[in-house]
Amino acid sequence: MKTTLRLFAVYFSLFFFGVVSVKGQHQPNIKITFVNYTNGYPLVLDSGFTNCWKENFTVQVFKYYISNIGLQTTDQQIHREPNSYHLVDERDSNSKSWSFYLPAAKYDSLFFLIGVDSLKNVSGAQTAALDPLNGMFWTWNSGYIMFKMEGSSPQSSVINNKMEYHIGGFSGVNSTLKKTRLALSETAISVSDKSLTEIIVRFDIDKIWQAATPIKITDTPVCTTPGTLAAGIAANYSHAFDIIKIVQQ
Amino acid sequence: MLVLVIVATAFIRQPPPHKLTYLQLVIPKGWPRPTINIFANNPLTEEGFQLGRKLFYDARLSRDSNFSCAGCHQQFAAFATYDHDFSHGYNNSFTTRNAPGLFNLAWQKELHWDGGVNHIEVQPLSPLTAENEMATTLADVLKKLKRDTSYIRLFKIAFADGSINSQHLLKALAQFTGSIQSYNSRYDKVKRGEDTFTVSEAEGYKVFSARCNSCHTEPLFTDNSFRNNGLFLNKKLMDKGRMGITGNPIDSLKFKVPSLRNIPLTFPYMHDGRLINISKVIDHYRNGIDTAQPTLDPLLKKRLVISNQEKVDLMSFLLTLKDDVLTHDPRLKQPD
Ligand code: HEC
Ligand code: HEC
Repeated sequence: MKTTLRLFAVYFSLFFFGVVSVKGQHQPNIKITFVNYTNGYPLVLDSGFTNCWKENFTVQVFKYYISNIGLQTTDQQIHREPNSYHLVDERDSNSKSWSFYLPAAKYDSLFFLIGVDSLKNVSGAQTAALDPLNGMFWTWNSGYIMFKMEGSSPQSSVINNKMEYHIGGFSGVNSTLKKTRLALSETAISVSDKSLTEIIVRFDIDKIWQAATPIKITDTPVCTTPGTLAAGIAANYSHAFDIIKIVQQ
Repeated sequence: MLVLVIVATAFIRQPPPHKLTYLQLVIPKGWPRPTINIFANNPLTEEGFQLGRKLFYDARLSRDSNFSCAGCHQQFAAFATYDHDFSHGYNNSFTTRNAPGLFNLAWQKELHWDGGVNHIEVQPLSPLTAENEMATTLADVLKKLKRDTSYIRLFKIAFADGSINSQHLLKALAQFTGSIQSYNSRYDKVKRGEDTFTVSEAEGYKVFSARCNSCHTEPLFTDNSFRNNGLFLNKKLMDKGRMGITGNPIDSLKFKVPSLRNIPLTFPYMHDGRLINISKVIDHYRNGIDTAQPTLDPLLKKRLVISNQEKVDLMSFLLTLKDDVLTHDPRLKQPD
């Protein structure tokens, strides 16, 4: 009985401290939202689109990692999202937006890594967005798949006209890790403690096909190993992000 | 009284915080420290080890509940598959490489013959999901474990938040496999002054030191590098080893130098189990090396000169690397 009482005391104090610490915490005041586009419209899974080579394609799976997000103030201060690892999955609308707290200031740029930093690729079993359950971890050549697009195209010569791009590799010349920095707008934005600022980032799939490494589904319907091709595709999509809207409430 | 206890336990939903029993890897005298600490983010505990042990021996970790880790990694064979070039996997399939013994993994930087696995915690993902091994999915394994009351209890004891998730599953397995150590062979006893070599073993040790130690370096009997020891390319498998991981042609036909500890138990030999006994291995180094291969290790450009007498002595030395303490260790046996 005595132990039960003592436990009650423990629970009570935990509860108490819990309330106090929540009070001390800041409300999220910045929200990042990713939207995937193709042919000038938001991507719709399982429906037909055309790329710049006039190839038709349908996307069934579209997922990628965004990590190490930070924003820079007009006086060059950098503030980072803590534990910043996100798997954006087109199938799961909840995965496309998240919020966190930033110290109130004027910010002029947003930066992030497309992919998972190399340290987390070599540090064993992870959880949450990095859980291997998400199907974004290679088992035969340890490391995260940074970007995954699967679907089909009549131009693909592979069985069932499959189109499959699993882009990864985190070290050396074939690293697919791409740091992206986007200016927030002509004038810097003010983030305050009292309101929520939402930054909407677009991923324009059209840019994957025509860039430094042109990708035609006819020639390269599949890329599922790290290497020069994967690095080339990653370089292509590193230029596919831009900010389309900033909403301040 | 009984009723009171039941009521009380129902009240205390969470088990009271308990003490974990921390364990330590043995660093035998004269050994280098492991270059990385595989338990840095996974403190080794008796509770985690015992959970890992149960998982390692549990065939329910495969799609049809026929294949446990231990099915291919047998204790009496120093955790290799005894007397098999390839091991049996799901649906009458075979692995495409020879299953290595498992011991002293804490000293390895990269796992698998091609070094494709960069951390012991993520290694099980490969056998669990491979169609020719356990052929299951993480989600399926976790579903099975969550239905099992003994696992619910063991995960709770072993990990702080007690939940059954992929990270805890993988960390527990790593605690078991990472604690399998081999440092009690007759060779080790001789080194510690507890035993002596026979004349032939002592002669064989000299041959070993001169011809083999540069790659199979003491005390681990591997330098953990990737090298081409001059085996012909297996045309059926087309396995180019390390090159499959790095994509670099200079790594073609390079494989991880395997430890020679427990070598009497881990036949047949090489990444594809092509050589059935130690005699054949030594003959390979004497007159089987394919010297035309551009990536052949420079140390083997000239085939090794080993006389028949030296071969006999070398073979008796290699027999001293068998570790009976490991193969009989009750802590590593299938749990009751
Ligand atoms: C069907 C047989 C089979 C099963 C089941 C199996 N393994 Fe293996 N294991 C192998 C083979 C074959 C290799 C070599 C793989 C390679 O090099 O590509 C291996 C390699 C390993 C290695 C790397 C050793 C080294 O020195 O590089 C570890 C660790 C390991 N297995 C642990 C496990 C664990 C843990 C499980 C259960 C989750 C398991 N294995 C299930 C056959 C199997
Ligand atoms: C140049 C480095 C090098 C030298 C010298 C060398 N080996 Fe090896 N050894 C290797 C490599 C690499 C492998 C793995 C090759 C493979 O499977 O493709 C290997 C494999 C083996 C194996 C198979 C082990 C297993 O578990 O399958 C044995 C046994 C062996 N060597 C014994 C010897 C002996 C005895 C000597 C000295 C006469 C020797 N080696 C010299 C690099 C070397």
